[in-house]
Amino acid sequence: MATVRFQNLRKSYGDTHVLTGIDLVMEEGEYVVLVGPSGCGKSTMLRCIAGLEDISSGDLFIGDRRVNDVAPKDRNVAMVFQSYALYPHMTVRENMAFALKVAKRSAEEIRVAVDEAARMLDLGHLLDRRPSQLSGGQRQRVAMGRAIVRRPDVFLFDEPLSNLDASLRTHMRVELMTLHKQLGTTMVHVTHDQVEALTLADRLVVLNKGVIQQVGSPRELFDRPINTFVATFIGSPSMNLLPATGHGATSTVDGVEGTLDVPSDGAFTLGIRPTDFTVGEGPLEADLIVVESLGSEAMLHMDLGEHRIVARVDEPQSFQSGDKVRLRPNKVHRFSAATGERLP
Amino acid sequence: MSAARVSLLRALLVLAALLPLPWRQAIAAQVDEIVLWHAYQGREEAGLEAAARTWTEQSGVRVKLVAIPFGAFASKVETAIPRGNGPDLFIAAHDSIGKWSAMGVVEPTPQLSADGLRPELMEAVRWGDQRWGLPLAYKSLVLLYDPTVIQTPPTTTDALIAEAHKYTGGGRYGLAYQASETYYHAPWAHAFGATPFDAEGRLVPLDSDAHVKAYAFTARIARDEGIVPQQPTYESVQRLYNEGNAVFVIAGPWFVSDVDRPIAAAPLPWVSDAGAPARPFLTVDVAYVAGQAQHPDEASAFTTWLAGPEGARIRQEQGGQAVSSALVPTDDPLLKTLEVQSKTALLMPMNPGLQGLWESEAKALRRVMRGAATPSQAAHEAALYWEVVSRPSPPAVSPWPYVVVMVAVLLGALGWLLAPLRDPDFRAKLRRHAWDYVWIGPATVAMVLLVLTPFVVGAGVAFFAHDQGEFTFIGLRHFTDILFARDWPLSSPLSFFYTLGVTLLWTVTNLIVHVGLGIALALILREPWIRMRAGWRAALILPWAVPNYITALIWRSMFHVQDGAINALITLVSGAKDPVQIDWFGSFVTSFGANLITNGWLGFPFMMVVTLGALQSIPRDLEEAAEVDGASWAFRFRHVVWPLLKPALLPAVILGSVWTFNAFNIIYLVSAGEPDGTTEILISEAYRWAFTRGNRYGYAAAYALIIFGVLLAYSRAANRLVGRKVL
Ligand SMILES: Nc1ncnc2c1ncn2[C@@H]1O[C@H](COP(=O)(O)OP(=O)(O)OP(=O)(O)O)[C@@H](O)[C@H]1O
Ligand SMILES: [Mg+2]
Repeated sequence: MATVRFQNLRKSYGDTHVLTGIDLVMEEGEYVVLVGPSGCGKSTMLRCIAGLEDISSGDLFIGDRRVNDVAPKDRNVAMVFQSYALYPHMTVRENMAFALKVAKRSAEEIRVAVDEAARMLDLGHLLDRRPSQLSGGQRQRVAMGRAIVRRPDVFLFDEPLSNLDASLRTHMRVELMTLHKQLGTTMVHVTHDQVEALTLADRLVVLNKGVIQQVGSPRELFDRPINTFVATFIGSPSMNLLPATGHGATSTVDGVEGTLDVPSDGAFTLGIRPTDFTVGEGPLEADLIVVESLGSEAMLHMDLGEHRIVARVDEPQSFQSGDKVRLRPNKVHRFSAATGERLP
Repeated sequence: MSAARVSLLRALLVLAALLPLPWRQAIAAQVDEIVLWHAYQGREEAGLEAAARTWTEQSGVRVKLVAIPFGAFASKVETAIPRGNGPDLFIAAHDSIGKWSAMGVVEPTPQLSADGLRPELMEAVRWGDQRWGLPLAYKSLVLLYDPTVIQTPPTTTDALIAEAHKYTGGGRYGLAYQASETYYHAPWAHAFGATPFDAEGRLVPLDSDAHVKAYAFTARIARDEGIVPQQPTYESVQRLYNEGNAVFVIAGPWFVSDVDRPIAAAPLPWVSDAGAPARPFLTVDVAYVAGQAQHPDEASAFTTWLAGPEGARIRQEQGGQAVSSALVPTDDPLLKTLEVQSKTALLMPMNPGLQGLWESEAKALRRVMRGAATPSQAAHEAALYWEVVSRPSPPAVSPWPYVVVMVAVLLGALGWLLAPLRDPDFRAKLRRHAWDYVWIGPATVAMVLLVLTPFVVGAGVAFFAHDQGEFTFIGLRHFTDILFARDWPLSSPLSFFYTLGVTLLWTVTNLIVHVGLGIALALILREPWIRMRAGWRAALILPWAVPNYITALIWRSMFHVQDGAINALITLVSGAKDPVQIDWFGSFVTSFGANLITNGWLGFPFMMVVTLGALQSIPRDLEEAAEVDGASWAFRFRHVVWPLLKPALLPAVILGSVWTFNAFNIIYLVSAGEPDGTTEILISEAYRWAFTRGNRYGYAAAYALIIFGVLLAYSRAANRLVGRKVL
């Protein structure tokens, strides 16, 4: 168990700056989820913690120890690789036992630990196979198992559940939460999956182009996104962003009739989540283009003036493409038109 | 010319080629050209060319001169002439007459006029009760000296030694010559009476008193006195002289044209310790009429003229040769010296089968020079060695039992091969694939011709004993002699099992070096901090790209005791005051080590390249995962990298071990088996039996067949292990 602390950490490959000035503290026992678009530097951050990448400048602490120059093997972290990195010449059991063998644990101790992890990950019947004889999801679970059998200071998970089917993923999420509760170890988890991020995270870190955009609890990030990037990145489908102009106590969406009760002055960006509309009445009128049905609910894709927007409704059957739909935003977010920063 | 005419002409040419032999000779007689093979270079070649031109002007017969490299000459005439592909005449030294006359390489020429030729030189072409060609010129060692330093050359060895001491020191040597070569030892040996044959023509025993004294003398003059550089080669003597660092040189007339400083000649000195003149070997260049010559008459005519006064004068004046004709006197000081020297010189014997004798003596001489044996010990061992290598062939045995067994085996094999033909399914399959067999036909024929036939012939030879061109069937005798180590104790370097042991040691140590270095370098090349990776990789592959005999020769010279880079480097690094003089080829361990270093240098790039390729297929994150899991470098290599590397490396290791097992070039060129044949491996030992110990082709073939068997068993076993994933 340990904190992980980044101090103005930078990582570049020659002229490619992958991480630019990361300042972040992951508290002891915290479950931190890293999200961000592909290529933004999430894996790189994990690899920096593991020691697989040299840090270009700045400092990294695990616990009280500055680990910039500590070899990976001496950091006591466990990592699940995005590519699984299973040893092809070893059986599942040998793969999972590897770290314990390195640590020179007794055979009995190893067997117990591996069996325990195998039970949890439902790998019991696969222990004597080799990785090449496993499916993608099974491999991913073995990779998880290899990390779990250890008792490290920090767990690093790089998209550990991406290859699992929906039900297994739900199961594994629960298992991860249980594990976290049991061990209380600091865990850092990279994912693309909104649900995974929002359910697992004590704290969520949104990364874009190597810069931390916002850090906070899932609720905070969802309710008060700090800029348009976080606003669109968190929540599915994404928040609608519309150019708007404020007239003191009210505002209008540019090029669209209808006045909104949003106090503002001058040009700004108006953000409305698809879930935050009242549909059927209101000051705005939009043309319905497509109804995307999701069973009990539907997404309405509409043109508001020349802007494409999405709204969620509960009774899809009453809508048809070509309809004129009236809308009222219930909750809005305001962002600076120039910088995209949240306006107070 | 129209196409029709061209094809008509071609048809006529083909017809002409098919004409019966007498016709062809008649036609050829009008062609007026004879072909002469020789190995002359430089001035001698120019002299021969001038003589040939003059002859053409006089007789109208063109002489086509074909120069053949000296080293290849003997085997060229021995293979080409008996098959009818030879020249009309050729020029070569006289000492192979015994062998060549038996092989039909040369024609007897009793009819040729010997008028004006020095009678003692005519002895050089007399063998059996026949004469073979005519002597053209003669050569022997003489004493050469630097006339800018020496006014009157010494006439006794004592004086020579005293004089030489004056000029020795500081990298300079009073006397330089290839002391460890029997040819250069011969002048002293003969003075003591250690000649190959005595006055009655009987072989002088190799452990005679005379031999012992002669070894002691050479050890003294060339080693103990400290006036002669150690282990000199022809090139190093030449270099020393050109640099002005050698005052006296013992060499033949050819040396004179190879140096670019003034040089003078004198007869070799009187050997003070023997009370007799030094007697170098005399070799005579002979013009031979070749066996199966197309134009023997024209060849004979040219031979007579070339040896006679007219040809001799041209060769003497333009070719600088010491000619055999007594009718053309000379003022040239070198030629005069040679003439004087020829009076005491001993005609090189022409008897076939003396190779083993030279090798026995050479071994003894090297042992004495190295200080590994006293002269009398060495002489004693030489006598024993000669006794073995000169032993007559084993008795002939009846081939019939073998023929019966072989026919039975062949029939059995044939039956086994053809048995499936009775199966109609199989026949149908054959028919279906008929064209496939046609397509692989050419390759099959090539394989049969180029691989199978030589193998079968080679294997067959193993059942025969060879002596002076005669093969006798002796059955399995060679195999039993070799495998039951009948002739030598197991610990003798001549025994099969000793050599097998060395060969195995050689293979294993080499593989350790190759694989160890190859993997280490490949791993280093993969490190992220390496700069100019591609450059390093190319540089490290270079040793592999250079032809290995060149590398071997370079390493051999680097291991030279006095001039070698290795000793110089050790001197430099150790900071020793006196130059370190490790005699690398003087003991088994260092000599084996020198071979190992050379072959290690040659062999690691292959393993490195294979390893680099194999490493590429091991994802980097496997190692990273192990690293994060706390594994040390060694643990990662042992448990992650090595198991994944092994399957790719194993075939390379098997291949490499077979190459190394048969690394003839390295052994032959670097240590040459020194000291005393202890570092020979099986394949180079087989070569020795075939080519330096009296042409025991059968014995060598048996060796080769046994080597084949060993390697076959090895590769089968290795494949089995790979298949079972045991390794
Ligand atoms: N060796 C390298 N040299 C140069 N650029 C690199 C190197 N390795 C990674 N990058 C760059 O660093 C950036 C971050 O890579 P990283 O693997 O951390 O992305 P990620 O956020 O994990 O993406 P994904 O979600 O697709 O896994 C990428 O733009 C990538 O192109
Ligand atoms: Mg990634």
